[in-house]
Amino acid sequence: MGRIATITRRTLLVGAVAVAGGVAFGTWRYRTPYANPLLDGLGEREAAITPYVRIDADGVTLITPRADKGQGVYHVQAALLAEELDVDLDQVRVDPGPPSKAYWNTALAEEAADFMVPSAGMMQEAATVGLSAVMKFIGLQITGGSTTVPDQFEKLRRAGAVARETLKAAAAKQAGVSVARLKTERGEVILPDGSRVTYVELAPIAATIEPVNDVALRDPSQWRLIGKPMQRIDMVAKCTGTQVYGIDESIDGMVHATVLLNPAQRGPINGFDASAAGKMRGVKAVVPVTGGVGIVADNTWRAFQAAKAVKADWGKTAFPDTMDGHWKALADSFVSDRQDSRNRDDGNVETAIAESAPVEAEYRAPYLAHAPLEPISAIVRVGDDGVDVWTGTQIPRFTQANVAKITGVDSEKVRVHVYMMGGSFGHRLEDEVVKQAAEIAVQMKGTPVKLTYSREQDMTHDFPRQIAMARLRGTVKDGKVETMDLGIAMPSVMASQMSRQGLSTAGPDNQIVAGAWDQPFAIPNQRITGYRTPDLAPISSWRSVGASSNGFFYNAALDELVEAAGADPMQERLRLCNDPLARKVLEAVAGMSNWTSARPGEKRGRGVALTKSFGVHCAEVVEVTDTPNGIRIDKAWVAAEVGTVVDPVNFDNLVKGGVIFGLAHAMNCEITYTGGIADQTNFHAFEGLRFYQCPEIEVRGLENGSRVHGIGEPPVPPAAPALAGAIFAATGTRLREMPFNKFVDFA
Amino acid sequence: MKTTVIAAVSLLIAATAPALAAGQAATIDPPAEGSVSASDGLAAFDRIYEVVTHPRCANCHVGQEGIPMWSGPSYGKTRAHGMNVRAGESRIGIEALACSSCHTKLSEDREGANDLPHAAPRVNAFWRLAPAEFVWFGQSKDEICAQLSDPDRTGGRDAVGLARHLVEDAEHGGFIGWGWKPGGNREPAPYTLQDHVNDILAWGAAGTPCPGR
Amino acid sequence: MQLTVNGKTVEVDVEPDMPLLWVLRDELGLTGTKYGCGIAQCGACTVHVGGMPVRACQMAAADVDGDIVTIEGLGTPEALHAVQAAWIEHQVVQCGYCQSGQIMAAAALLDSNPEPSDEDIDAVMSANLCRCGTYPRIREAVKTAATKLQGA
Repeated sequence: MGRIATITRRTLLVGAVAVAGGVAFGTWRYRTPYANPLLDGLGEREAAITPYVRIDADGVTLITPRADKGQGVYHVQAALLAEELDVDLDQVRVDPGPPSKAYWNTALAEEAADFMVPSAGMMQEAATVGLSAVMKFIGLQITGGSTTVPDQFEKLRRAGAVARETLKAAAAKQAGVSVARLKTERGEVILPDGSRVTYVELAPIAATIEPVNDVALRDPSQWRLIGKPMQRIDMVAKCTGTQVYGIDESIDGMVHATVLLNPAQRGPINGFDASAAGKMRGVKAVVPVTGGVGIVADNTWRAFQAAKAVKADWGKTAFPDTMDGHWKALADSFVSDRQDSRNRDDGNVETAIAESAPVEAEYRAPYLAHAPLEPISAIVRVGDDGVDVWTGTQIPRFTQANVAKITGVDSEKVRVHVYMMGGSFGHRLEDEVVKQAAEIAVQMKGTPVKLTYSREQDMTHDFPRQIAMARLRGTVKDGKVETMDLGIAMPSVMASQMSRQGLSTAGPDNQIVAGAWDQPFAIPNQRITGYRTPDLAPISSWRSVGASSNGFFYNAALDELVEAAGADPMQERLRLCNDPLARKVLEAVAGMSNWTSARPGEKRGRGVALTKSFGVHCAEVVEVTDTPNGIRIDKAWVAAEVGTVVDPVNFDNLVKGGVIFGLAHAMNCEITYTGGIADQTNFHAFEGLRFYQCPEIEVRGLENGSRVHGIGEPPVPPAAPALAGAIFAATGTRLREMPFNKFVDFA
Repeated sequence: MKTTVIAAVSLLIAATAPALAAGQAATIDPPAEGSVSASDGLAAFDRIYEVVTHPRCANCHVGQEGIPMWSGPSYGKTRAHGMNVRAGESRIGIEALACSSCHTKLSEDREGANDLPHAAPRVNAFWRLAPAEFVWFGQSKDEICAQLSDPDRTGGRDAVGLARHLVEDAEHGGFIGWGWKPGGNREPAPYTLQDHVNDILAWGAAGTPCPGR
Repeated sequence: MQLTVNGKTVEVDVEPDMPLLWVLRDELGLTGTKYGCGIAQCGACTVHVGGMPVRACQMAAADVDGDIVTIEGLGTPEALHAVQAAWIEHQVVQCGYCQSGQIMAAAALLDSNPEPSDEDIDAVMSANLCRCGTYPRIREAVKTAATKLQGA
């Protein structure tokens, strides 16, 4: 990890370059070939900087290069910059980048990729996979590695501070006064006589002086924005239909396409007959793409209609024909040959189990679609001067390379324009849609081709969340949980995901035991073993990745043992908890929910779960009532330890969303395959949680820890086990398999 | 006298139905009263029961609570319509969200209008539930037979009136014809519209016998 | 055929069975109305036709029987509708993709029922799917919008 540390330090250096009529501040590219880029020509300097702040005649622009899929990171990034720059969000423009054309270059593509990491936690976990190919993957996304959130938390504030201090130095030079006598406020430097000079006026001078890199970041007590409720910057556009998502973009001369893919996931196409489709109104072309057919028309609906008229001869997939086959592959994996990791082996599990009749149970978690509400889409134009790609993606760097390969154009001539995303949950860590759009576009040179998946294509050709199985053996003694021997089997998400980028992996995949092996509970005999199932259906990272299944397995297993011990689920967790930060989180939800018992009344039940994932301890209590129409989820209480809550409003919204996401899928969602074909095609069969089913949710963010963490994923894993615990308390039905609606009805 | 009137109606319908190609045509040709034996009448009622309790029909013939049902291969067991849908007292959802917000009214009975699997079915009428008195969902043979033989619970229709109702609705592309051509890979109601009309008429001519009577 | 969209009459040359959604998005460039499922399961394409909420993916162009209002016609960043203003005040949005439909559904609800109970809100808003889980804020915003409209 020495290399990472070095690179991280280097990227903290902030530079300045002149731009037309102004100045841009940003970090140096770590692999810059230049000893001192400031000494090189302007173009070269532009090529070597990734800007965060641009000040020109148009005003102040904050550049927020990390992709936003709805979690508000444009807003958070802008706030971090604005905090130290002394501007307010109502007086700046935010350019989500990758930045404007003037800044476009290969260097930026690589640097932008650094910021486009989907989840700090995912990469943090991936880092422990530890193989060369994975290191390459990590290497490309280095600022998103183990330190993304804290690193960005500091880096963007530092960029803002350097810009501010350099602007002050420019003002000092211009006015002939000492910097110490200057103040800043709302985009202006205040001179000793009280007169004000705007940043815009100072920008040309700032571009000519050495940036002031020796800055101290403000003490949290001085923060104007961080930690206080802010108005998210994308609210107005998203409430007025004026936010342009990838699917909304329109390029002059654009045609509308869709694809018809082998309904069996990743199956080949042997041939097709498009004679009927080709004659339909508006259809411009029907062309082959990998694994299917591209249909190009003058309107998306006409392309959808024509796709239905294409006759194709499909090949078969390699994975099992029935779900029984998938489950059997998992069940067969609990053998030493398949052991992937045993990161935890406390006490003596075998002795304890030999001495008493163990509690045994098996748990299951299904494949799950990501199903963000915006179906995936991409526009690709293969032009004389290179290729343009307009899409919502989390992996622009990979996409650039993939499009270059397909179109035969040098990758520095592939320009990826990243758009606001209508959700992702990990869906846009894959770029098949872009590859297919490029395959079509290369056959229609000069024409921008917009490829839109129908919802059915999107859901059935998603690379879903891993299917997984866990087996528990455990013992209790004297009313206490004594032994937990938990084995978890799943195929490797990382291997499947990276295989589609041409990267191979070997060695343990920490996602197989994420959210289980490192939980803050001191069970005397505790062993967590990961078993790697050979590849089944292709899978990908789904909000909270391995922890999304394992948080359920671990807590459900713990609940089973707590029950056997005759203990209370909350009290026993508190007794076993050996981490002070986790304990405070548990105490918080116990207090918020006024927990006294898992059975607060007739037909009512409560469950509690805590999962540490992505460095965040998150605990949830869920309360349900068993009504004549089924289980009603009445209320949820959540507490999470994140070090610093950057924006309490966005935090509250994301936590609630994460809880709802976890509950929704636990209630009624799964993807099953028959003959390689997904059985669920649309939201009628992947319903989720509807408005009337949404419980009241109370949220508390704790700031006892010293590190800043993201909150997009950690609220997901504890939701399902807390719900299962509550249903058990209310009904006596122990749920060991998701989705729960296979066993109980929901009101 | 009655028979004569019916014959006239039947002729009229037979003459006009083929002109409306988009709808579904059926003729009304009732057997003479008393010409159908009780056992044949009961056999006809068994088929009627199969039809009216089929999900294509029964899912919208629900009781007072006004919650339509969903069923089909992808749903497993029959379940309440998703999205917390309530048709209300109006039976057209107008108290909250009209059925026709999703089940939009077709301006004509277009071929293929319901081909998209799992989309909200559409007909040439404002989508609604049958009146609560006409409940079929979850009802036994005896209950449905009693209901169909009770003019207070058929909108005043006798067997011939019921047959006319079926034919007229199907002609203009309403709900009833949809039951036999639901589209979108949905399973149609059993038999055909004409078979069902004939069974209603035969059952009527047999004196509306019920299994429990 | 002729359609009236957000107060303007437009001529479109489309098949009778093209869903209004795709007329709006691809023929008229009004992309505020979203495609989410195409089968009336998500509500992202909700518009008003003749003052009633309608799923634009389910209404064929030939079946349009009234003036159409889309999210762009409900209010603008400069002149917000009360429901949009309430949504902004409560910071409802995450990814935002469902919100055009949510707002159109809520606006139609408040048109017909100015003082909805929680049960009334449940009955209407449950047909609009939000994958990010913004439901708690939607409920608060509907209530605030109701109050604003009452006061107006």
